[in-house]
Amino acid sequence: MSLPARRKFIPLLATALALAALFTTASLLYPGFCSRLVVANLFADNAALGISAVGMTYVIISGGIDLSVGSVVAATSIVAATLIGRHGWHPVPVIALSLLLGLLFGLGQGLLIQRFELPAFLVTLGGMFFARGLAFAVTPESAGINHPFYDWVQALRLPLGGRAGLPATALLFLAVFVVAAAASHLTSFGRNVYALGGGADSARLMGLPVAATRVAVYGLNGFASALAGVVATFYTGSGNPAMGAGLELDAIAAVVIGGALLTGGVGFVEGTLLGVLIFGTIQSALVFDGRLNSWWLRIAIGLLLLLFILLQKWISGRAGAARAE
Amino acid sequence: MSEPGQKPRGASVGARLRWPALSLAALLLFNWFFSPTFFHLEIKGGYLYGTIVDVLNQGSKAMLLSLGMTLVIATGGVDLSVGSVMAIAGAAGALLVTRTHLPFGVIAPICLGAGGALGVANGLLITALRMQPIIATLILMVAGRGLAMLLTGGQIITFEQPSFVFFGNGHFLGLPFTTTVVALAFALTLWLTRGTALGLFLEATGDNETASRFCGAPTAFIKTLVYGFSGVCAATAGLIATANIKAADSSRAGEMMELDAIFAVIVGGTALTGGRFTLAGSILGALLIQTLTTTLYNLGLPPAIAPAPKAVVVVAACLLQSAKFREWTRGLVGRKAAA
Amino acid sequence: MPFFAALLAASTVLWSGCGKSNETPTAAAPPAETSAPAAAAPASAEPKSSLRSFTMGFAQVGAESAWRTAETESIKAEAEKRNVNLKFSDAQGKQENQIKAVRSFIAQGVEAIILAPVVETGWEPVLREAKQAKIPVVLVDRGIKVNDDSLYATLIASDFVAEGKLAAEWLAKKTDGKAVIVELQGTPGAAPAIDRKKGFEEGIKAYPGMKIVASQSGDFRRSGGKEVMEALVKVHPELTAVYAHNDDMALGAIQALEEADKKPGTDVIVVSIDGVKGAFEAMAAGKLNCSVECNPLLGGFAFDAAGMAIKGAPVAKNTVVPDRVFEQSQAAAELPNRKY
Repeated sequence: MSLPARRKFIPLLATALALAALFTTASLLYPGFCSRLVVANLFADNAALGISAVGMTYVIISGGIDLSVGSVVAATSIVAATLIGRHGWHPVPVIALSLLLGLLFGLGQGLLIQRFELPAFLVTLGGMFFARGLAFAVTPESAGINHPFYDWVQALRLPLGGRAGLPATALLFLAVFVVAAAASHLTSFGRNVYALGGGADSARLMGLPVAATRVAVYGLNGFASALAGVVATFYTGSGNPAMGAGLELDAIAAVVIGGALLTGGVGFVEGTLLGVLIFGTIQSALVFDGRLNSWWLRIAIGLLLLLFILLQKWISGRAGAARAE
Repeated sequence: MSEPGQKPRGASVGARLRWPALSLAALLLFNWFFSPTFFHLEIKGGYLYGTIVDVLNQGSKAMLLSLGMTLVIATGGVDLSVGSVMAIAGAAGALLVTRTHLPFGVIAPICLGAGGALGVANGLLITALRMQPIIATLILMVAGRGLAMLLTGGQIITFEQPSFVFFGNGHFLGLPFTTTVVALAFALTLWLTRGTALGLFLEATGDNETASRFCGAPTAFIKTLVYGFSGVCAATAGLIATANIKAADSSRAGEMMELDAIFAVIVGGTALTGGRFTLAGSILGALLIQTLTTTLYNLGLPPAIAPAPKAVVVVAACLLQSAKFREWTRGLVGRKAAA
Repeated sequence: MPFFAALLAASTVLWSGCGKSNETPTAAAPPAETSAPAAAAPASAEPKSSLRSFTMGFAQVGAESAWRTAETESIKAEAEKRNVNLKFSDAQGKQENQIKAVRSFIAQGVEAIILAPVVETGWEPVLREAKQAKIPVVLVDRGIKVNDDSLYATLIASDFVAEGKLAAEWLAKKTDGKAVIVELQGTPGAAPAIDRKKGFEEGIKAYPGMKIVASQSGDFRRSGGKEVMEALVKVHPELTAVYAHNDDMALGAIQALEEADKKPGTDVIVVSIDGVKGAFEAMAAGKLNCSVECNPLLGGFAFDAAGMAIKGAPVAKNTVVPDRVFEQSQAAAELPNRKY
């Protein structure tokens, strides 16, 4: 590959190196950290966040932002739980319906943003409040899901040796990641998203379907959030209108840690995967430590994030990539 | 907000204020019909008492936050840490008042200074280290909440010191003292931005930072300054919140207020991309949000569901402001208006 | 595309590099945990004692109130006293974080898990994993809804429904069965809020003169209690009693009542639940009338149960922590005894 092309992968490499450094430090500090079980748990515990972050990557690369994801996750989970638990529907049509609703919700937001030129921050902030309120309107309490289909899915596991195994939700996360990453590199839709993020006006002048791409990106993210909500119902076996609070910020952080720029046009889905793993590693390490109370925990997370981003910038800087504003 | 010899700008500001003002009027009208006690005012204990007064009082925090947030957004950034800075300032204030016996007149500047310092730290991360504002302020949002809880050790620290309590609960000229604080802050900010060249530099920096820098505007300094200012506003709001309940509740103080502040600024007419800003618009936006919250309380709607109608009102307010939307509705009605 | 390859390579290295360390839960003494901090900061507790030290995990909800902090301190103090290596995790109020913590405890091979569940549902999958790993789970402070009771060893909690009933009965006695009540609810969906509401409603059923005219959530916060009370006192100026699901909200409501020129404690009877120090101070000052205790000092009970469960001894399924009712007259005398 030619030199200019290689340069754009440097932030990704920086993130990967920083993840390796983080994981190694934790493994040295906490025996038992470096094990297949812990790594498998990283994927299993963060499947919902991961799927959400993958969708968010597309939105951010396209130059937008979506703050509604956490609330859509919650709304999906409680709607699904209520339909299955209280009204006795079979999970499969409920899941299909939830995904459809998520897609429509995202498309709706996308239309408001594209057609009326409303700021994405605001529309999706409104979406976040709306979905959250809706979730609580369905029921303020969490609702359990008891259905043989759920039992069956929750029992599915890909054994990895020892006690480690990947549950169906983690496998779904990996599948979503592979598809999204492939699409971003190999399809024209992916290229359109990058072009849109790089400059909507230039993209339009090039003849690319800017409006359709933008609306589609938000629709896809709505779908991804709903899917994350479904995954959350499998993870917990219940629906909860209060879940996912702050998930959007975690997803955005994961995407940015992965090297994407919030201004758009720059970033990789692979980077987001690394970002999610970093998040998970930090959380995991802190539980292994087991000594920090609530406030030190928050301070530690904030400082680690800061350290992480500085490290990443330093590595990128050293590698000579001139990151223009 | 209009100055002599700048008629065109005054006109556009007036136009931008039209929509939040209209939305607020619509909400008040709704209350007129559905919530009769809303407008009930009486004199109790020598000062005005009524729901409207509550709106002014409770909304003072959002109004203060929106002042700082307007300037930050004008430079093209955003400040997610204001809620946590509120908590830190409140915790510091409560600690100082109970552990030392310094007068409130000394404690307040210390807390405001702390808020400003944290804001400047944000600004430095953004200008010197080139971090994206969302991430830099997100870090302080997370770590700051931890710092506030560290200060109080997870306890709720209560106090009775009269001047501190007056700051959040007292009355001046018949209205809550917090309204006076907001009025003073608004006047100060207005003077700083429109009475000096600061406003000009701010709008230029937000509009096109590179060009402004080449023109000689001190963009890095300006950006750091606005985050510092946002920190001071947040600290003031934090002192009010703490004084109001005579206690520092570090884990919940200022929760979600950054979103309300951002909402207020955008509904008020300042664009998220930066550039032109309007302080009066943000104040109106904050009032709109507080009025909405109080309306929902009065109607007996569970607060957990309240965000949904809030979202509808805010998006509706934004749609009204969107030129494209107005074009579309005019097209629907079949009238062709001049662009 | 080379990055797919690089990622794949990196993950394979990681996989093979990480051995089978710590795959099986250690039933014997856990040297790994106590020797770990050699490279890091000095360990918190490395006492030399003849009793073998257990390792346990405690998944706490958060630190959102003084009550919660008192519960945490109680458990940590007991752990120190009993020479237990306690792994503490704070979930910042989110169930997802609690589940992650419990799964991490399972991976770390702890011998027992203490869990204060933030919501009632959603624990089946993770409790099943704990059961498979043969790690007993002790629930503290709140119950859960599961189909299979064997998923947890025991529940140690106050009876929130009973607390609500006690408050109702005390209020009925105080007001001779006639009251216009405003209710300040806790966080929507939280077990204590749901149960305290239920218990109170059951308690006042026998008194037709007692009516709840307004009931809204103050989110268990002082500022929430104040804001809601401010609004409601204007809509229902005829109120004669306030029932708050926790002391913090009551204390906020008291301020709102004073500002509305209604004397809390005399014009308006205020009753709440929890029994924190602030409540006793308010009662001594004549502003709060009654506080039903909800004891957070569960450390002793929790470790007793955990110890027995590890040994395989049978444990009572449900240990109800007794709550007492405190009135104004007892407040001043009781104040120095309040530990939280």
